[in-house]
Amino acid sequence: MDPKKEAERLIKEVEAEEGVTLDAEFREKLKNEIAEKIRSEIERKRKEIKRKVEEEEEYFVRFSLNVRLQHLTLAVGVILLIITGLPIKFHESKIAELFFDLIGGIQVSRILHRIGAGLLIFVSIWHTLYIAFTKEGRNEFKELLPRKKDFLDFWQNIKYMLGKTNERPKYGRYSYIEKFDYWAVYWGMVIMVFSGLILWFHNFFLGIFPKFVFDIAKEAHSDEAMLATLAIVIWHWYNAHFNPHVFPFNPTIFTGKISKERMLREHPLEYEKIMKEKLSREGKSDER
Amino acid sequence: MKVWILIFFVLIANQANSQLKNQRCFVCHGVKNFGIVEQGKFKSLYVSREDFEASVHSKFACVSCHVDVRVIPHLTKPRKIHCLQCHFEGNVVGAPVTAKPEKYKESVHAKAVAKGKNAPDCKDCHTVHYVRKPEDPNSSVYKTRVPELCGGCHQTIKEEYYNSIHWAGIKRGELSSAVCSDCHREHDILPPEDPRSSLNPKNVIGTCDKCHSDVKLMKRVGVPVTNPEAYKESFHGIALKFGVVKAANCASCHGYHDVLPSRDPRSPIHPANLAKTCGKCHPRANENVAKGKFHVLPGEKESGIVYYVYTFFKWFTLIVLIGLFTHIVLDLVGHIRRKRKKASE
Repeated sequence: MDPKKEAERLIKEVEAEEGVTLDAEFREKLKNEIAEKIRSEIERKRKEIKRKVEEEEEYFVRFSLNVRLQHLTLAVGVILLIITGLPIKFHESKIAELFFDLIGGIQVSRILHRIGAGLLIFVSIWHTLYIAFTKEGRNEFKELLPRKKDFLDFWQNIKYMLGKTNERPKYGRYSYIEKFDYWAVYWGMVIMVFSGLILWFHNFFLGIFPKFVFDIAKEAHSDEAMLATLAIVIWHWYNAHFNPHVFPFNPTIFTGKISKERMLREHPLEYEKIMKEKLSREGKSDER
Repeated sequence: MKVWILIFFVLIANQANSQLKNQRCFVCHGVKNFGIVEQGKFKSLYVSREDFEASVHSKFACVSCHVDVRVIPHLTKPRKIHCLQCHFEGNVVGAPVTAKPEKYKESVHAKAVAKGKNAPDCKDCHTVHYVRKPEDPNSSVYKTRVPELCGGCHQTIKEEYYNSIHWAGIKRGELSSAVCSDCHREHDILPPEDPRSSLNPKNVIGTCDKCHSDVKLMKRVGVPVTNPEAYKESFHGIALKFGVVKAANCASCHGYHDVLPSRDPRSPIHPANLAKTCGKCHPRANENVAKGKFHVLPGEKESGIVYYVYTFFKWFTLIVLIGLFTHIVLDLVGHIRRKRKKASE
């Protein structure tokens, strides 16, 4: 839109309405003034829109690069372990035969399984060091500790899901669902790594443990693997992929970013906390 | 000239054929010490009439097989005859035809014979004149006689076998117990390297399995019938199934010719010998390997602690998954309900 043309049009409209003709010099001055006003108004609107868009696009950094890499390592390791482990558990199935044919034999599969195991052990050591020696890690760990509120949230969520209340539980940085996932990994890790190491280095451990320990290790490894696989595929993937809120995919664990809108819906208490901290920081800098 | 002689013989023989009864053969061949000296050695030409008449060929005349004998006494040495002279597809004398000769042709024995080595063909096991059905206790290939028959050549193996629980079973009258042919098969005896062999590492489990997963038989002889199944579930069994030939099969631990139960101190699976047996592959194996059950099936109560680990995980997994699944369903149903409500408003 050209402001000058628009101004010309407005003046002509008024002239026609009033049935007068303005003095040419005054008319030119008036036209310029109106055009200037229109121009500034357009500029103002444009800025406003831009700010609004930016505000809507506002996001928070939910996961640090360190945490994202830990998750990625764990995910790659676990997927590798599952696809090379399941055909051994279900060795009678046709798929197991097909898989071993495809991959180049059970011996190749065993090596891949041990690479997966290596990643898993590596990430468990990494995470332990992370929560022990970095400030960020200690904070995250504290946030993940279960507390009374989680049980209240759980109860509130059940009521919400059943439609008994319209109030969603207000989660902090981590919901009880995320905490469950986090602690489930500890249980799984302890069983899988210890039983797995016994099976991996059976020739070494044969000199130390009686035979039945190996039988227990094998059984526990196989059963816990099944539990973990089902929990990941059904539970974790539902919460991270197939849940209608995030479908098809919640990218936060890979990008680290979470939108303000999701932050407000899923972690309102954390949002409040961050805003309060921001305000108090700004307040302090203002004082200075 | 030769042709004339031949024609002469044929004419004579045609005349004499009907009268050429076995009776006349036994005049000489029925005498116990009848024989000739061949290359400085006495060779018996005696045929027991009684045994011949109990054989499957009793109804046949000697000359049915020895077709070149036209006059009696025959002046020349009859040509060597072969079973396949009659036992071929489309024969007119009603000789039963089976796939066995074809199977035999593939065997180590036939291959050795073809190379000119001293190895058995049909007659060495089935005898020449006294062939009886294998079910006949007097047959040379009757089950209880098989070890002696094979042991004629394989002497040290025969001695090993006579120490085994399988032979003890036969001696006790348990005829389902294994003799040579039960594992090595009868006609198509192949070297273990051959993938078709019943003794190929990949096929050993199937060979033992034939009897050892027979519920009735194993109950009768007091051997746990679940062992082959448990083996197939073990790492050894799975690795072998997918081609890791060095993985232990039944024979790797139990031995083969002299298989003995674990209660026998000579057995490689006797608790005192286990360290050595496992040590063949697992160098650090010590007396620890004897502490625990073998052929463990986690779902069986007899498996002890493994059963309880299995049971714990079974219920734990079930309860956890029911919980998680319920949570998911509640979440989904709640979500849909709210969406519908919103849409209707």
